[in-house]
Amino acid sequence: MLATLQQSQQTLNEALQQVSTGLSVNQPSDNPTAAAAMVENTIETGDVDEYTQNVSTSLSTVKEASSVLSTVVSSLTSAQSAGIEGANGTSSAATMKIIANQVQGILDSVITDANTTVGGAYLFSGTSTSTPYTADPTSPTGYTYNGNNQTSSVAIGDQTNVAINLPGSQVFSNSSNSVIGSLSSLVSALNSGNSSAVETATTAVGSAIGFVGQQQVFYSNAESQLSSQETFLQQDTVTLTTQESNLIGVNEATAATDLSQAETDNSAALAAVAKVLPNNLLNYLSAPT
Amino acid sequence: MGGLNTALLIGVSGLDVAQGALDATSNNIANVNTPGYTREEAQLSELAENDSNGQVTGGGVSLDGLQSIRDELLNMQINQQTSLQSAADSQSASLQQIQSYFSSTGADLASAFSAFSSSLVELSGNATSSSAQAGVLASGQSLASAFNSTANGLTSVQTQADQQIPDTLSQINTLTSQIAQLNGQLAQVPSSANGGTTQDQLDQDLQQLAGLTNIQVTQTSNGETITTGSGTPLVIGNQSYSLSSSTGPGGVQQVEDANGNNITSSLSGGTLGGSLNIANQVIPGFMTQLNTLASQFATAFNSAQAAGTDSNGNAGAAFFAGTSNLSDAAANISVSLTSPSQLAVNSSSSSTGNNIANLSAALTTALPSGQSAPDAYASLVFNVGTAASNANTQSAAIGDNLTQLNTLQGSVSAVSIDEETANLMRYQTAYEAASRIISTVQVLDNAALNMGSSTSF
Repeated sequence: MLATLQQSQQTLNEALQQVSTGLSVNQPSDNPTAAAAMVENTIETGDVDEYTQNVSTSLSTVKEASSVLSTVVSSLTSAQSAGIEGANGTSSAATMKIIANQVQGILDSVITDANTTVGGAYLFSGTSTSTPYTADPTSPTGYTYNGNNQTSSVAIGDQTNVAINLPGSQVFSNSSNSVIGSLSSLVSALNSGNSSAVETATTAVGSAIGFVGQQQVFYSNAESQLSSQETFLQQDTVTLTTQESNLIGVNEATAATDLSQAETDNSAALAAVAKVLPNNLLNYLSAPT
Repeated sequence: MGGLNTALLIGVSGLDVAQGALDATSNNIANVNTPGYTREEAQLSELAENDSNGQVTGGGVSLDGLQSIRDELLNMQINQQTSLQSAADSQSASLQQIQSYFSSTGADLASAFSAFSSSLVELSGNATSSSAQAGVLASGQSLASAFNSTANGLTSVQTQADQQIPDTLSQINTLTSQIAQLNGQLAQVPSSANGGTTQDQLDQDLQQLAGLTNIQVTQTSNGETITTGSGTPLVIGNQSYSLSSSTGPGGVQQVEDANGNNITSSLSGGTLGGSLNIANQVIPGFMTQLNTLASQFATAFNSAQAAGTDSNGNAGAAFFAGTSNLSDAAANISVSLTSPSQLAVNSSSSSTGNNIANLSAALTTALPSGQSAPDAYASLVFNVGTAASNANTQSAAIGDNLTQLNTLQGSVSAVSIDEETANLMRYQTAYEAASRIISTVQVLDNAALNMGSSTSF
């Protein structure tokens, strides 16, 4: 009888614990397979949160870089028009100087663009934390690149990394197609008043426009990869939460029913024991006279 | 020739026997709650009839003694099941403690692995951020201390089990010397009593002994011979043989018989068997898995560090230390880097990308054990959970079995108040009836004495 009471008390305790914690697995022995699977689930859930964070910061970085490059393209286009105007043979040396000043202004704004930061990090310094371009009178272009040639690669999934930047050395001061080089040559040519040099420099600016356009493809590819990963991670979060609740969660309806069942059983067992214990022959005998 | 005296003697024998049976019933009722008490029945037999010149009269009744009602086979089964249950219970208690170190408490290894992995993912989004680097270092330290505390937890349970072994042995030795003494006394008990109260005490000691280790009982002319399950003598006649323990190579607890032979491997069952299994098999098994994981993961992560350069431009130094010795890798693992800037975030060559993917890969790629670090830990959790759940199930199953056997034994040997109350009435009536015989004989005697006399005596 006491064993029955103990057992029903234990069942009641288990039911209570499930309802109060909302968990069906409170220790590994409750369900070893689920407990083991939860190790993976816990790690994956933590990672997915961070991946989602990485994707959203990377997306803003990539979008910002892409829009900076669009600005650079339009700056280059203005410089190209200015160069064409300067090379048309009718411009006087004084006019050319004025145009040279305009192009110098464009060059300055391109340098500012190349030094853009997002969240305190430079977009075009590779993985370096140095300001990408600083003025340097000893350099032929007047500016030195201080960053490195590496790209930042960000984890956005298990063993999925995406490169989210291009170094300035590739975008702005590439040896074959240098944005800064072409603009600074154009300024020098205009200052020297040599219209054929201006023409050559203008052509170089034209090809730089095409080159920057190609670099934009990198950013739009990264953007689409990040967007699709964002959707995947949202889905994955839902999957992981569902998995967690399947593994160790409690179905509230079942748990509540179990609890009320266990309570009834326990009361019944107590009532039965209370009834049986005092029941013996002595109760039915009259006291000896 | 029979006469009124014969009837008187028969009546007196009835009175005596009813008195004796009432005493037995009283004793049973008085001992209704005494542990180990076996109910006694008065053994009655008729006395030989008298044949006097062809006239046959009954001889009355005699009380031969009190017989304890017991079923030795049932006792043996109960002892066996008690051994099994004590072993399962002691293992279940230890495993319950062990699995608390593997439950998701927030400070367990699964949470630490999760935080470490997340901090690396966060770092990959902000490779140059010193706070993200510090985050990796801090979560690495938490991971190392989670390894330390899990290993220490296992060690503390093992120490408890180790300490329990000599305690259990001294209980066993006390019991066996008591049993040897009782064996000597048993020889004095008349066989008709079926062992009587001496056997009750002996059975109770045996059941306690069975709870401590698996035993075998053989009835011999010298009383009971008790041996361990594998035949090492514990009690022969009135002589007991004590067991002792010592710490063997590698800190393994071993048990020796009275001649100094190591009998550890042959012991099973009871608290002793349970403790030996936990201390010598179960915990060392878990510990090896944990140490292998700590050591292999540290090696994998350190080589990922070595593949890169840190923020100061130096080659990546080892992140984890203290795992060179496999036997205490988990207890000793620590973070050897002193500054977040020593984290090898950059790749050593000037190639594109950085080294963080390599660092993260140490968590996801298979270690020499064939599983990734989180998978290896998940297997360990599964093993611990399965062992704990098996011990619980086993203990519950044997418990049911034992309850059944005890109920059965209760119906044979325990005192039933109902039955004793009925006996009380039965013997009371018998006593009253026997008294009536005597008073009747007295009346008859008077009648006989007064025969032919005008005055009455």
